[in-house]
Amino acid sequence: MIRSFEKRAEQKISGFQSPAADYLEGRLDISERLVIDPHCTFYFQMKGGGMESCGILDGDVLIIDRSLKAHHGAIVVAFSAGSFICRMFLIENGEFVLKNDQATVRETEMGMLQVWGVVTAICRNMLPKALRTGRYSHVCTL
Amino acid sequence: MFALCDCNNFYASAERLFRPELNGKPVVVLSNNDGCVIARSEEAKACGIKMGDPEFLVRDLIKKFSIQVFSSNYVLYGDMSERVMHNLGRWFPRLDVYSIDEAFGWLGGVKDLGNYVPKIRESVVRNTGIPVSIGVAPTKTLAKLANKMSKRTGGVLVLDSDEKIKAAVNDFPAHELWGVGRQHYKKFESLGIRTAGELRNMPEMWFKQHMTILGQRMWNELWGRPAIPLEAVRETKKGITVSRSFRNYIEQPEILAEALTLYASRLAEKLRREKLRCLYLQVFLYTNKNREDHPQHFPSHTHKLLIASNNTTDLVSIAVRVSARLFRAGVKYRKAGVIATGLVPENELQLNAFFDHDNGKKDTVSAVLDKLNLAYGRGTLRMASEGYEKKWRLKHEYLSKGYTTRWADIIKVK
Repeated sequence: MIRSFEKRAEQKISGFQSPAADYLEGRLDISERLVIDPHCTFYFQMKGGGMESCGILDGDVLIIDRSLKAHHGAIVVAFSAGSFICRMFLIENGEFVLKNDQATVRETEMGMLQVWGVVTAICRNMLPKALRTGRYSHVCTL
Repeated sequence: MFALCDCNNFYASAERLFRPELNGKPVVVLSNNDGCVIARSEEAKACGIKMGDPEFLVRDLIKKFSIQVFSSNYVLYGDMSERVMHNLGRWFPRLDVYSIDEAFGWLGGVKDLGNYVPKIRESVVRNTGIPVSIGVAPTKTLAKLANKMSKRTGGVLVLDSDEKIKAAVNDFPAHELWGVGRQHYKKFESLGIRTAGELRNMPEMWFKQHMTILGQRMWNELWGRPAIPLEAVRETKKGITVSRSFRNYIEQPEILAEALTLYASRLAEKLRREKLRCLYLQVFLYTNKNREDHPQHFPSHTHKLLIASNNTTDLVSIAVRVSARLFRAGVKYRKAGVIATGLVPENELQLNAFFDHDNGKKDTVSAVLDKLNLAYGRGTLRMASEGYEKKWRLKHEYLSKGYTTRWADIIKVK
């Protein structure tokens, strides 16, 4: 979980004023890179290995921006046949195609398909099991 | 030019965004405690469900048409509302958020409205997933009217010429106008006024005599002369209330104290968010007035604080003490609430020579409470007197998840 909670401890200087005091810039915050527009951003989570060839693994948190229009090659979250799915969005011969490691579905077969949003980035916990404890158990993932 | 932007069937739309299989299906949202219908999708309206219908009265309709029912999920609606308003705000030089699902925007200096306004709608709908309608006109009253009419014309209606305004008002029922209540409706009926067009053709004197200053404003607004400005500064609040019904009747003072602890904590939180302190705290209890077989009791007491306060500890201890005094054994209470009045700005603290102030120690505690609850989720740190079981808690059997506010609730995809 990304949290900008109290970026810097309150500085109470008893001795000399820090020469850096005038140069404070604010520390880097990864959410600036992951979330471009918070008011259009939603989060989903990948279940299963259907998108492994695209680099999305089971448990990855998907960052979805609804303001983007799906283009050829975009990873999207769509709603089809009663459930949310994550797929690669392709345009082949002018036809919309959704694809994952198991199946390719063309527009004509999709019926009630809606692209819900475009996946802009993923978050993944890279810790081995032994380190996934306490406040590190939810690094990026759940 | 003013725009009124309004989310279509907002609560139902917010629920459907995360349950797209319900698109095109009837959906209703129930009030707190699952009491009555407070939002309906178009399909549910067509099934004959009315606004405010008690849930038990429409149970048959719900079954018959397989209507999807939701308890009100204000955490979700609040977040979705914020998204819609932020997205709208990018298109208007000034925006006045009027309610959870409505905002007035000012479009001064924007040329080619016919082109601009559909773009606003399109971008807000795409970015948030919430369908919105936008009515644009020279006055707020006409913008509201245009907004209502736009629901039938694809979500956008711009009344930018006298001819368009004339055609619109001649088509619009007078009793649906902004600011027209039941009393006015009767008056219109007796005079044979049916449309807004007929209404604005009445002489100004008539409005002055029969509808006070507000009517005169309406008359001007209907003729395209702005009489109600865009609210630049929100009026300072006169009072803040937190009140809720219990799931079951409360008959024990300890349980009542738990509920009052929660309500007073919420009230203190609200006050701090508005940067206000209160001088008076009113506590009230209700029994169910529809149960003639129950003893009835509607006590209320207003406590005057020595020093205006907005910290949780002060307000909770007062609320609990007062409620214990109001409580009467053998009575089944249905609802309770706390109201803060005598509101003063947080930073204008008037001290009292005969009372020892704690120098803001409790305020510091409250600030820490707010910070922790903001970071770790509401209720992480709370008063122990709130209790643990909370059997009196609101009934919400059909509550959807916190799709946008809780990590554990985000949607899983395959």
